[in-house]
Amino acid sequence: MKFNLEGLTVYFPYEYLYPEQYSYMLEVKRALDAKGHGLLEMPTGTGKTITLLSLITSYQLAHPDMGKLIYCTRTVHEMEKVLEELRKLQAYQEKELGKQAQILALGLSSRKNLCIHPTISGEGSRENVDAGCRKLTATWVRSAAAENPDIELCDFFEGYEKKGADALLPAGVYTLHDMKVFGRQKGWCPYFLARHMITFANVVIYNYQYMLDPKVAGVISRELEKECVVVFDEAHNIDNVCIEALSVNLRQQTLDGAQRNLTKLGQVVEKFKATDADRLRAEYNRLVEGLAQRGTLPQNDQMLANPALPDDILREAVPGNIRRAEHFLAFLKRFVQYLKRRMGAQQVESEGPLSFLDDLNNSAGIDAKTLKFCYDRLHSLMLTLEITDTEEFHHLTLVCDFGTLVGTYTQGFAIIIEPFDERMPHISDPVMQLSCLDSSLAIKPVFERFQSVIITSGTLSPIELYPRLLNFNPVTIQSFAMSLTRDCLCPMVLSRGSDQLPVSTKFDMRSDPGVVRNYGRLLVEMAQAVPDGIVCFFVSYSYMDAIINSWNEMGILKEIMQHKLVFIETQDVVETTLALDNYRRACDCGRGAVFFSVARGKVAEGIDFDRHYGRLVIMYGVPFQYTLSRILRARLEYLRDTFQIKENDFLTFDAIRQAAQCVGRVIRSKSDYGMMIFADKRYQRHDKRSKLPNWILSQLKDSHMNLSTDMALHIAREYLRRMAQPFDSLSVDTGTLLNEAALQRPQPMEVG
Amino acid sequence: MSPAGPHPQGPPADALLQDAEEDGDLEAEEAGRDARAWEREYADERSWEMLQEDDAGLLRALDVTAQQRERRRRHLAAPAARIRRGMIRYLVLVVDLSRAAAEVDFHPSRMAVVAALVEVFIREFFDQNPLSHLGIIALRAGVAQRLTELSGSPQSHITALKASLGADGEASLQNGLDLARAALAPIPAYGHREVVVVSSALTTCDPGDIHAAIAACKKHRIRCSVVGLAAEVYICATLARLTGGTYTIATSEGHLRDLLLEHAPPPPALQQDAPASLIRMGFPQRQPDGAASICACHADLRLDGAYVCPRCKARVCELPTECHVCSITLMSSPHLARSYHHLFPVPPYDEWQASSSSAALPATCFACQAGLPGVAGGATGVRLVCPRCARHFCFDCDAIVHESLHNCPGCECRPAAPDDPPG
Repeated sequence: MKFNLEGLTVYFPYEYLYPEQYSYMLEVKRALDAKGHGLLEMPTGTGKTITLLSLITSYQLAHPDMGKLIYCTRTVHEMEKVLEELRKLQAYQEKELGKQAQILALGLSSRKNLCIHPTISGEGSRENVDAGCRKLTATWVRSAAAENPDIELCDFFEGYEKKGADALLPAGVYTLHDMKVFGRQKGWCPYFLARHMITFANVVIYNYQYMLDPKVAGVISRELEKECVVVFDEAHNIDNVCIEALSVNLRQQTLDGAQRNLTKLGQVVEKFKATDADRLRAEYNRLVEGLAQRGTLPQNDQMLANPALPDDILREAVPGNIRRAEHFLAFLKRFVQYLKRRMGAQQVESEGPLSFLDDLNNSAGIDAKTLKFCYDRLHSLMLTLEITDTEEFHHLTLVCDFGTLVGTYTQGFAIIIEPFDERMPHISDPVMQLSCLDSSLAIKPVFERFQSVIITSGTLSPIELYPRLLNFNPVTIQSFAMSLTRDCLCPMVLSRGSDQLPVSTKFDMRSDPGVVRNYGRLLVEMAQAVPDGIVCFFVSYSYMDAIINSWNEMGILKEIMQHKLVFIETQDVVETTLALDNYRRACDCGRGAVFFSVARGKVAEGIDFDRHYGRLVIMYGVPFQYTLSRILRARLEYLRDTFQIKENDFLTFDAIRQAAQCVGRVIRSKSDYGMMIFADKRYQRHDKRSKLPNWILSQLKDSHMNLSTDMALHIAREYLRRMAQPFDSLSVDTGTLLNEAALQRPQPMEVG
Repeated sequence: MSPAGPHPQGPPADALLQDAEEDGDLEAEEAGRDARAWEREYADERSWEMLQEDDAGLLRALDVTAQQRERRRRHLAAPAARIRRGMIRYLVLVVDLSRAAAEVDFHPSRMAVVAALVEVFIREFFDQNPLSHLGIIALRAGVAQRLTELSGSPQSHITALKASLGADGEASLQNGLDLARAALAPIPAYGHREVVVVSSALTTCDPGDIHAAIAACKKHRIRCSVVGLAAEVYICATLARLTGGTYTIATSEGHLRDLLLEHAPPPPALQQDAPASLIRMGFPQRQPDGAASICACHADLRLDGAYVCPRCKARVCELPTECHVCSITLMSSPHLARSYHHLFPVPPYDEWQASSSSAALPATCFACQAGLPGVAGGATGVRLVCPRCARHFCFDCDAIVHESLHNCPGCECRPAAPDDPPG
């Protein structure tokens, strides 16, 4: 349908619109009009993606001078879903408007997902595919092949290269699969074609990293114009992504590997000196003039860009002491030696970059300025030495990465050296972490560069904290509730067991056998009353292990097994995938199953338990972070000093958003239904509960709080019976759906 | 808790037996009843079912009008048009007697409620489908037990079910389906094959692949429906969807009764499922009482009145049934006539809207003379109008007319118009 939204004609591919979608569009439009940033929370299952796409593409149609829509997703799977939605929307817009509505939309992913080379695409990991591709497409390999036809090249890249700038995609919506099909048909490399086409596309969909990680963004997103609209979907963990983009972990193996790399590089340099000394001299001259001009490098030679943010990279010549290859290698050797010595520390050390640099200068004679250039210098050297197997030099790259970041930033970082894992103090496993404490650093250039940035997710509560964490000023902040035809979610707060004793995972209570038994009884009772799948989230792996052990001893596990099969998430990805697969099969065939999982784990972040795969989710405890972790402490301190965010506020916020994320797994659409039990007496407290997202809170009735197990069981039985009754999905009359006619009327539902 | 026995609606014969045995106990119990009268009221009148909790957690009386509309909506959902129906049904009733059937969220227990209502259903089924056959399978302790073979005698089914109550172990839907399919597979093509599962359990513990069992049912054109007692189970929903059946969940005992009885009228039949064919039937004569003869069904000398098969002259006790000697279908002509109404149903009544002048409204129901809502001092609920004769009826009469009478009293009283369809 087509309707008028404050003077903008919006094309929406479906017959009906939810009221919250309408208000959502309104907010996005206002943000775009004001050329500002937006922070919007809308629950999953309300069609957030299609709403965003429909509004922004309609806006593009109305304002041709507006730039691209850049849609960032977390996973490839989500990217494909967005593209499918966009395809529907595009078909509708073309039907309404004809040719002028044609757009080019494509998804961009790594070589691993886009490669169509018969042998290289079969390589397993991303790094292998990248390295394999470079071996066939690097400039020097190609020029060597021009003389010697025995050298293997990639036919698809050659096909693409032959066409040059004429290699264009016709308008349309391309998923990764479509790109590959098109590439095969034309004989062009889909990866390089996609990168080339970004400049021409109206909608680009790619991973967060391509926007936030300076190493990748420097290569991919450099040429995007200012007028672009950037959308971060499922952005509830955006602060963590930002931090990870600027953090480096070094282990013993890394340093050993780096030393091996250095020896190898030394040999190569010696060889070049003997055979091709001119190249090294040319490089030296280039470095005298300034940093390697990346802009002039052909696309296929680019490796990852500098790990520091573009604004912080100095545009000046590389310092004299590392211009010569052998000097640079000696410099790196000293640096690695120093790191190794620090790594041998007997107790935990934590310091800021300034004191680290000071110590480095005193003991190894390395100053911050030289260190700053170390990444680019290594990059330049590897290009000069024509090294294609970047995977092999991964360790050394990491060390240089570390060096550059330490050299560049004196604020917002911490260096933490832990000689052993807290949980296993007898096993020496030293790790040196350069941890970014300030999530606003990585996202700052994005806010500054682009006109509008929309951050959206199903759970962004409490929404006021995000602007402070990311240090930006949104023009619109809004949290939308879900309009429901029936109560398709049923949150409950369970604070007591059947014996009326409180339950909690608080540190002093969690190992109390009474609490463990009450938690177990809760699951046994629920397994009897709830059909198909039940998902349980625990606060940590160690707690899950402990409680499952005790349940086994108490015979509770056996009782559960009478009603449902039990599956457990482990830290092993393959094992977990297998468990999930079998869990789904058990739900499909009617046997019923329970899945034990961990908040913050892989399952809690990315796996949906919709429909019968999750009729009930039990959140055991409040998933606080491990508060004794040095990194967390450093971050809390920084947040308190810099952003005036109280430690407790941040911890609660983080725990509750994880809990909301876990329970949100259970409901993915309005026709679905599911129950959520928050099993901890602390959820009863207002400061915790009020931080839950609006769409959960609005469904949390007073009569569903402070429950004991038997009360919860009664509510669950009633609820499941009620939900099993047939219902009409179309209810225009009750105002939970809007059609074209309803939207023509003056709108009464202004959101305040 | 409940002072009533485990089978509150048991047949009088059982009650007599019990009386003889427990005469002494009964008096004591009688006295106990008096002492705790409040308890009896609690159990018999089900006052809790008349209350509803609203959003604020307050208790309110049920909204009668809304509830009646809801019930009518379910009835109206069945298409009233003249459609082809499978009149000759072979139905296997699968009763779940697993551990879950012993739960007490229905009073006194799920099993007792199911047993009582299944009895009602069986009687209603044979009343509405005199040409049909029924068999019972029980799911218990992981296996499926055949309680009765497919036959046309309601009493034998009821007795068999009553005799084998007792919940134990897991339920296996796959075993139940396999056994039902084995029973239904040899049925001739004109017969309409159905399985109705009354399921208490929320899980099925199968020895093999249940999806294969469902596919086999679909292949044999067996319509499988499920009536659940607790919550929606995915595999049951899949079973019903794939085989063209229905899946419903009961919220209370009354609702369970409605849902079970929904399966009593014959379901619509597809052309390819049941090709039209001629069936050989016998219409036996009734012998007068007193003539001694050997009964074919009991293998015993009987003196009371009975029917005689017109082909082989065997004696059978009740109709409709299959002759035990020559296996011809035996029935009486009223049975055949009773099946007729499914083909020519009474048109559904419309709900009267309070827009027209209320002066000329009849104050009472045309059929039962009870007070109707909509006038001063009237009852609560809905008022219904027959679209053909325009008489007004109450909700209860609407239910009786459409569910058991199958004739509209208003239309019958009217001088017949020549263009009216019969019925």
